[in-house]
Amino acid sequence: MRVYDRFELPPDKAELHRRAVQLEWWTIAFFLVAVALLALTLGQSQAMKAAWIEDMLGLVPPAAFLIAARFRNRKPNDRFPYGYHRSVSIAFLAGSVALLGLGAYVVYDSLVRLIARERPPIGLIDVYGHQLWLGWLMIAALFATMVPAILLGRVKQRIARQLHDKVLYADAEMNRADWLTAGAAILGVLGIGVGLWWADAVAALVIGGDIVRDGTRTLRSAVANLMDNRPRVVDGSRPHPLRDNLLTAVRDHDWVADAWLRLREEGHVFVGELLVVPVPGTDRLVERLEELGAFARKFDWRMHDLVVAPVTRIDAAEREGSDRVRGLPYPQAGRPSGQESRTGSAG
Amino acid sequence: MRRTIALVGVVLVLLAGCRWPQDVGTTLEDVRGGVLRVGVTEAPPWTRVTDAGAVTGAEARLVERLAQRLDARVEWYPGSESSLMAALNGRVLDLVVGGLDAKAPWTKEASLTRPYVTMQTIVAVPAGVPAPQELAGARVAVPAGTAEVAALRGEEAVPVPVAEVTGREGLPVVVGQWRLAELGLRATGHELAIHDHVWAVPPGENAWQVEVERFLLALSHGEVEGLLAAAEREEASA
Repeated sequence: MRVYDRFELPPDKAELHRRAVQLEWWTIAFFLVAVALLALTLGQSQAMKAAWIEDMLGLVPPAAFLIAARFRNRKPNDRFPYGYHRSVSIAFLAGSVALLGLGAYVVYDSLVRLIARERPPIGLIDVYGHQLWLGWLMIAALFATMVPAILLGRVKQRIARQLHDKVLYADAEMNRADWLTAGAAILGVLGIGVGLWWADAVAALVIGGDIVRDGTRTLRSAVANLMDNRPRVVDGSRPHPLRDNLLTAVRDHDWVADAWLRLREEGHVFVGELLVVPVPGTDRLVERLEELGAFARKFDWRMHDLVVAPVTRIDAAEREGSDRVRGLPYPQAGRPSGQESRTGSAG
Repeated sequence: MRRTIALVGVVLVLLAGCRWPQDVGTTLEDVRGGVLRVGVTEAPPWTRVTDAGAVTGAEARLVERLAQRLDARVEWYPGSESSLMAALNGRVLDLVVGGLDAKAPWTKEASLTRPYVTMQTIVAVPAGVPAPQELAGARVAVPAGTAEVAALRGEEAVPVPVAEVTGREGLPVVVGQWRLAELGLRATGHELAIHDHVWAVPPGENAWQVEVERFLLALSHGEVEGLLAAAEREEASA
């Protein structure tokens, strides 16, 4: 039998992934253009420095995605016997740290400006002989960076859900953070126009708080991923239904008396162990076990690498304990549980 | 969310009324028909503070013109840039002038206007003196105690410091480009420095800043050069 599948993604998903790679290249191009555009309109001001740092951070998730995309499909080898799927999880961690960093920076920067009672100056600019308030040009530039960020973010979010790609999802969140900060900056410039020196900083502070919350959630999810938590759907809102569905399907085999399944996420794919208690007197047990393994892998494209082992009995306490950690009452497997304690009460 | 943003935007625009942008404080309102408090540092020919306390120079003329436009009376406050910028930041002054360059490090304390004129410091020759092909090795007369001495050394020229450039040194000389006609000099194509000139206003007083910039940007290069040349003549005769 084949120990593992060579490829992560079925053809239709691989096509989606190729689109995602394209989108990420576009994102990088977009950020580079945005930096240039802001440099032209803002010059060497403090605001330019902030926008510069934001855009640099915005480059992290797409770069992480593209790097992980080069590694994730590599064959397992002597050095990495489990393959390279986890590169996607590491990229997810990098992307979420960048998102949190962006939020923290925006909050810090706006607080400093508020405390220093910094009054932002915006003067005139001469455009081909026409004198124009620089604020209008800044608003135009910010608006121009907002629209692509909204569009890119939406498409990415949709693909991320279909691919179970959390890096892409974190990147979509980053794009959301970008257009929100741009929107805040537009409000800020308008506020400065009417003589409210604090408008810019307060708008940025509110948006910064939102990004910090987002970043914290994503970072927690990324760390939990590396801790092999129970797989959750791509936006982290609920446990992924695959484990319960698969366990139910395995139990439906008439030669299976009892079964126990544990899964972890390795980037796009799920990996784990399945223990089965065969009905006494089952013939062709080894073949049946192999077939069960193949069945599980066909069950869902995400199911990638599963060790199937026969056991004589599964300890009820063991079972209960392991499920209590995951916060889901065991017998009701298959029912989506909305309220799952994320930290759990592991003991 | 987006609807709220649009709504707030509309309200802000309505609030703005006719004048856009507005000051955080009330500088423009106070200056118009009132007093224009100007901090000045000596930087001939841009500004010069006479022993009697009067301020002359090209930028002094410009400040007077601006005040006239706004129907304001000018009060001069000579001082060092450091102290003037601090006063400007606290809105004790409305304007600081004195040959300020766009690269001035005062962006934390003050808002520098958009550069209104660009002046080059060049190497020129009087009639009868051949223009050096290269600065390296050439003896060049230069006002003593200026950054141009170092710039010349950087070009491996031999600086000859003089108290004042007169054009009668019999050497190539370093001058601001506005002095060519006055001293009967000829440009050599070697330039030592470029200065973008700005004024400084209190940060956040955007209506005031826009008013000042509108005035400055309407000036032509020739107009400023003329004022500078006049200031040089005035100084020489004083």
